[in-house]
Amino acid sequence: MKPFAFTWRTSLLAAAGIQLLTATMALATDVTVWCWDPNFNGASMNEAISRYSAGHPDVKIKVVDFAKADLEQKLQTQLASGQTEGLPDIVLIEDYGAKKYLLSFPGAFVPMTGLIDYSKFAPYKVELATVDGKTYSLPFDSGVTGLFYRTDLLEQAGYKAADLQDITWDQLIDIGKKVAEKTGKPMFGIDQNDAGAVRIMMQSAGSWYFKDDGKANIKDNPVFKASLATWVKMLQTKELYKPVSGWGDYTGAFNKGDVAAVFTGVWMTGTIKANGMSGKWAVAPIPKLAGVDGATHYSNLGGSSWYVLSSSKSKDAALDFLKTEWAGDVDMYQKILVGQGAFSSYLPARDGEAYSAKDDYFGGQGVWASFSDWQAKIPGVNYGVYTNEADAAVAAQLPGLVAGGSIDDAITAIDAQLEQQMQ
Amino acid sequence: MSNAESRRGNLAGWAFIAPAMVLLGLFMVYPIFWSLWMSFQTGKGLNFKFGGLANIIRLTKDPVFQHALSNTMIFLVVQVPVMIVMALLFAVALNNPALKGRAILRTAIFLPCVTSLVAYSVLFKSMFAVDGVVNHTLMALHVISAPIGWMVEPFWAKVLIILAITWRWTGYNMVFYLAALQNIDPSMYEAARIDGVPAWARFTRITIPMLRPVILFTTVLSTIGTLQLFDEVNTITASAGNGGMPADSTLTLSLYIYNLLFKFVPNYGYAATVSWLIVLIVAVLSWIQFQVAKER
Repeated sequence: MKPFAFTWRTSLLAAAGIQLLTATMALATDVTVWCWDPNFNGASMNEAISRYSAGHPDVKIKVVDFAKADLEQKLQTQLASGQTEGLPDIVLIEDYGAKKYLLSFPGAFVPMTGLIDYSKFAPYKVELATVDGKTYSLPFDSGVTGLFYRTDLLEQAGYKAADLQDITWDQLIDIGKKVAEKTGKPMFGIDQNDAGAVRIMMQSAGSWYFKDDGKANIKDNPVFKASLATWVKMLQTKELYKPVSGWGDYTGAFNKGDVAAVFTGVWMTGTIKANGMSGKWAVAPIPKLAGVDGATHYSNLGGSSWYVLSSSKSKDAALDFLKTEWAGDVDMYQKILVGQGAFSSYLPARDGEAYSAKDDYFGGQGVWASFSDWQAKIPGVNYGVYTNEADAAVAAQLPGLVAGGSIDDAITAIDAQLEQQMQ
Repeated sequence: MSNAESRRGNLAGWAFIAPAMVLLGLFMVYPIFWSLWMSFQTGKGLNFKFGGLANIIRLTKDPVFQHALSNTMIFLVVQVPVMIVMALLFAVALNNPALKGRAILRTAIFLPCVTSLVAYSVLFKSMFAVDGVVNHTLMALHVISAPIGWMVEPFWAKVLIILAITWRWTGYNMVFYLAALQNIDPSMYEAARIDGVPAWARFTRITIPMLRPVILFTTVLSTIGTLQLFDEVNTITASAGNGGMPADSTLTLSLYIYNLLFKFVPNYGYAATVSWLIVLIVAVLSWIQFQVAKER
């Protein structure tokens, strides 16, 4: 029995050792944060952490970066399994998915009503994270959209900033053709499996996949039809874009200078500024859908908020950190705005000086004031619960449409598929 | 042996297998019955309630499910026979003692199935990219005049997945045949040769009948494997975190189950129903395969 006794004692010692270790570690509170873009929300979070740490040396906050899809699936898998070990204390969730998590996993997130003064945040951000009168998020960024373009390439094709103001998507396609002809570079990098563009167009005219009551809004929705038709037309214009696959490829296309422009959320600013082409970029409002009532040049793509998980062992520290920095530090918001393009939904931050500053990267353009302006004009919509399902239904029809299929048939199919997925 | 003695023997036997039985019951039997019960529940995530046959009715109306089912069946019907035949031919060829470098070839053909799934998927993804090495090679050889959109066009995406799983699993099946070939008495071939039976007839009349149990085994195994196809379609033909691209042309049943649970608004009940349908299909197909093997 000697070996047995030996192992027994060793494991006892080991157990004691582990306990001792955890006891020492418990002196410092550890907070882990999950987010997905090291150039953007990761960098913004790190800025907040360094500010908070100065006054709270006992709280150790650490950022873990994932690809966004990986983060979402890991979070959902763990919440579904009830296995909370390994979950972070704070997690970033994209606004489209907020209701899905809140309704599917009741009790998984800590409500912050009463702790945070929500009147200081953009109302739509608060609304989308509110279930049964309780709000669960600390609203982070807004994804007000813009058309980022290379001034040098557009100039070669004979276009100036004024030529990109107040245009329609069809006019943009013509500009893209000319750019390809003159510079040899396509206008955009496009991932055919990404339905983001359809979402941008829909919201720019005040519509969405769902009505206010949550029901599908696909059939007999002129805005959806116009958005889908416009996007298909762009995809059919092969010289307009370089086909890309996945996020790295997508951002690589403009970061390496392969394409002349990108229309996306303001949060892309950090990535654009990371490619060292200062003075060569500018921003215009996105084009508008032609022939649609209520069409505007203003829309939203993405945007996300911070949530604290109920399973967290450092809930108090996490909440205090969010409250102190993300709901109180106007100065920090100025810094992450200029550095990362983190366009906050914290209203007091708007009065800061950074919001009126000119940006040399964008040729001295007052980009933040513009975005601020555009944001106020974004039509409000209800994102609902089933955005992923609707995206999948749209993506399933795109190749057929690009090959020349009928839009009406595709809309019927999308509607039928979505109908089945929404139960 | 007296009655009491045999009972004690029985008891000891049960005692020995009890731990394994308990674990098996806890981690295998219980979840299986739980999932059967789950397949009658409906609702979002952890908010579910008994829904009767609602999920089964939903199956009959769900276009995505039908699409996934037909994709899976296409993979099954095309890929399994091709792979089994190739594995058989490789095995017979590599069983020939006159062939030089047999060991190296065997290893080379077997090696794909021990590589990491994700590593090989990433390699395939880069090799078959529009400007990847495969298109470049084919264009240099003038086999094609324009690059093939392997991961962009629905048809080619299916071809790519079939290529990938065939590459990975042919060697695995070949090893079963190689082992079985060692059990065929060489005197049978000798006798056939003396009687003047040509090589092809020796293959179809001796080798294949002698291998029948192994062929059945590998066919059933490959069928199950293909019905559960997930990794490749969630890595090779994935984009922006969505597997089964383009346009769900490589969406399989397993991937659909995964989407229902972990990507869409989680619906445990419906996902369990789809899982049980796979069980049913496997059972029916295996039964048919056993019947066919018996008839011959």
